[in-house]
Amino acid sequence: MSEDPARRLAELVRSHRILVCAGSGGVGKTTTAASLALWGAMQGRHAIVLTIDPARRLADSLGIGPIGNTPVRVSPETFERAGIAVPGTLNAMMLDQKGSWDELVERHAPTPEARERILENRFYKQLSQSFAGSQEYMAVEQLGELDSSGKYDLIVIDTPPTQHALDFLEAPDRLLDFLDRKIVRWFVRPSMSAGWSAFQTMNKTVGFILRKIEEVTGVGTFAEVSDFFESMSSLFDGFEARVARVTELLRDHGTAFLLVAGPDEQVLDQVEYLAEQMSSRRMPLRGVVMNRIYPLFQGTGVQGASPEEIATRLAGPAERALGAKPPGEMLARLARNFCAYQERAHGDALRIEGFVQGLPAGVPFVQVPNLPRDIHDLAGLTALHPFLLGGTDGAQAGRETGPG
Amino acid sequence: MTFDELVSRRLVFTVGKGGVGRTTVSMAIGLEAARRGKRVLMVELEGARGLESAIAEQRKARPTAPELKRIGYIEVEGKRALEEYLGLVIPVRRLLKTIFSSNVYQYFVAAAPGLKELMTVGKIWYEVERSDATAPDLVVVDGPATGHSLQYLRMPKAAAEAFPVGLVHREAVRVFSLLQDAKSTAVAIVTTPEEMPVNETGEIYRGLGELGLPRGLLVVNRIHEAPLEPGEIEDLARAAGKPARTKGADEELFAEAVRVADGEAGWARLNLDNVARLALDVPIPTVLLPYVFAEEFGGSHVDGLSRRLAAQLDATPGGGAS
Repeated sequence: MSEDPARRLAELVRSHRILVCAGSGGVGKTTTAASLALWGAMQGRHAIVLTIDPARRLADSLGIGPIGNTPVRVSPETFERAGIAVPGTLNAMMLDQKGSWDELVERHAPTPEARERILENRFYKQLSQSFAGSQEYMAVEQLGELDSSGKYDLIVIDTPPTQHALDFLEAPDRLLDFLDRKIVRWFVRPSMSAGWSAFQTMNKTVGFILRKIEEVTGVGTFAEVSDFFESMSSLFDGFEARVARVTELLRDHGTAFLLVAGPDEQVLDQVEYLAEQMSSRRMPLRGVVMNRIYPLFQGTGVQGASPEEIATRLAGPAERALGAKPPGEMLARLARNFCAYQERAHGDALRIEGFVQGLPAGVPFVQVPNLPRDIHDLAGLTALHPFLLGGTDGAQAGRETGPG
Repeated sequence: MTFDELVSRRLVFTVGKGGVGRTTVSMAIGLEAARRGKRVLMVELEGARGLESAIAEQRKARPTAPELKRIGYIEVEGKRALEEYLGLVIPVRRLLKTIFSSNVYQYFVAAAPGLKELMTVGKIWYEVERSDATAPDLVVVDGPATGHSLQYLRMPKAAAEAFPVGLVHREAVRVFSLLQDAKSTAVAIVTTPEEMPVNETGEIYRGLGELGLPRGLLVVNRIHEAPLEPGEIEDLARAAGKPARTKGADEELFAEAVRVADGEAGWARLNLDNVARLALDVPIPTVLLPYVFAEEFGGSHVDGLSRRLAAQLDATPGGGAS
């Protein structure tokens, strides 16, 4: 194994079947996930990238237009046009929250009547649209589906931003809790459909509490909740088995968790927290991608120099290069910009140094500079490869790393 | 819209994609409102910690600033809000204790779709409508990232539909009509001038429109400015690209300074295109804030941005750059 972190990240991608990219919003998580999947495809793998972010960013970043709840393959022509050799395949899928629940019901309801009953239930409609966390449940469910389909040998998942990434990690367990038969039993008793009063004969306290809650929420709600669970109970057996399998999948040796971050104090705080949560769930961190770094100039005599001092030093080389004496005012602007940039870069360097200290030993840490371009196409995704994965093997490294 | 007009509302709710500086903009609005004499309550939703640290940074950076005395802070958590609410409805402590400690209740709270979001919005309105001696004049909510923000704002409407009668229905209808009233509420959309945040901003704008919520303000954050004119950059880049006859530390410095300036100019161009797209897609009063280069972004920078935001709104009383 090489000591170069990008090489080590490449090795990690090569040796894993599932990559989970987690981190805060706005740090290039979706782009990183897509770039890794593309690299896999360029190495001859059948790669798919799955995003569960509510925004349609993945479609944007792959330039394949809006994609729904089914995998869409990036066409060979698209690669040809971009001038990229892709012996494998690249697929993308965006999780449509509402779509996935409906699909699940469609797929697993035992009878057409049961299916209709669930789809028409008002409680279900609410749940499938706005129940926080349902998106995460469905992501895990989809991960299992994609894995067992046998069509892909590299699955890259772009999780929602930090806070909700935790929901993602917890999703399997929470889904099991959700389906905990001891609790569900309360709701699926036939007598429940008659309303809370049926409970009184069964359990005085429960009936009383339900009545109180119902007073506050609205009449009839519990009958509908009950109906929902009763209808859904026909799906439960499959659920439980699949959730258990996906939990194993997340802890499998073929699965690697990557953190994607940026060098801002708040982002680093969140990422640190997430890393702790991962390890306590036996989902160990395997790599860190630090995006949008302002690289610090390594030359001498720059740290702490004033814009005036920098401008003085620039005068000579500028005149020699231009063949004429440049206006002092232009040099002043050039120097001011340089100093402002260095100030930020110096802060980045210090924050990163502190962050790396806290990382577990042996976790590859790759750094991607703040490229002055939006990355929303294949060329943009390959431009990241030299930074993420190093080397030139297979990837067209070094292409277009300058300003776009 | 002047700044005073913006904060004459009782609720300003910020939304935007993750990482665009929503918390900074919330803080900036709250700070300036407090500077103008308003009692401001800054609200953060469950689990977020950014606003709390932003306020702490203000107190640290400018401990004697009088406006900070007028700034309060709460974190609103759905489950706790529900308990508070039930406490108002069921004024017997023993009974509440029985309810809260029961499994059925715990399960109901966990499973009832959107209940926590609804209670969160309800609690915010409780704060908005308070009229006691310590009641705030203005409530600024630092919303969660886009998808989840809309979930919160949509919830009262969804709840009104899901619960056809009862207390929740009545509350939901009332809260939603207040949210829809442009005199009491302004939603401030925050974005950076980059492709994906701008796409998402268009979606938010339309999403808010569908809900009939007042889209008061667009804040475009972190705009890079070109340090040099395009012609200057070209000349310098060409010159710096030539193999230098003398190779020294200053030559390297020059090449780097040109490279960095070129990068900034690239960002500035890209930002400008996106600001133009926003002007078409999101035609509401708009504030443009610069990218701040600093070793570490902190309290004094937020203070500077807050003055800038207000000055821009006040300079274009007709409605900002719309």
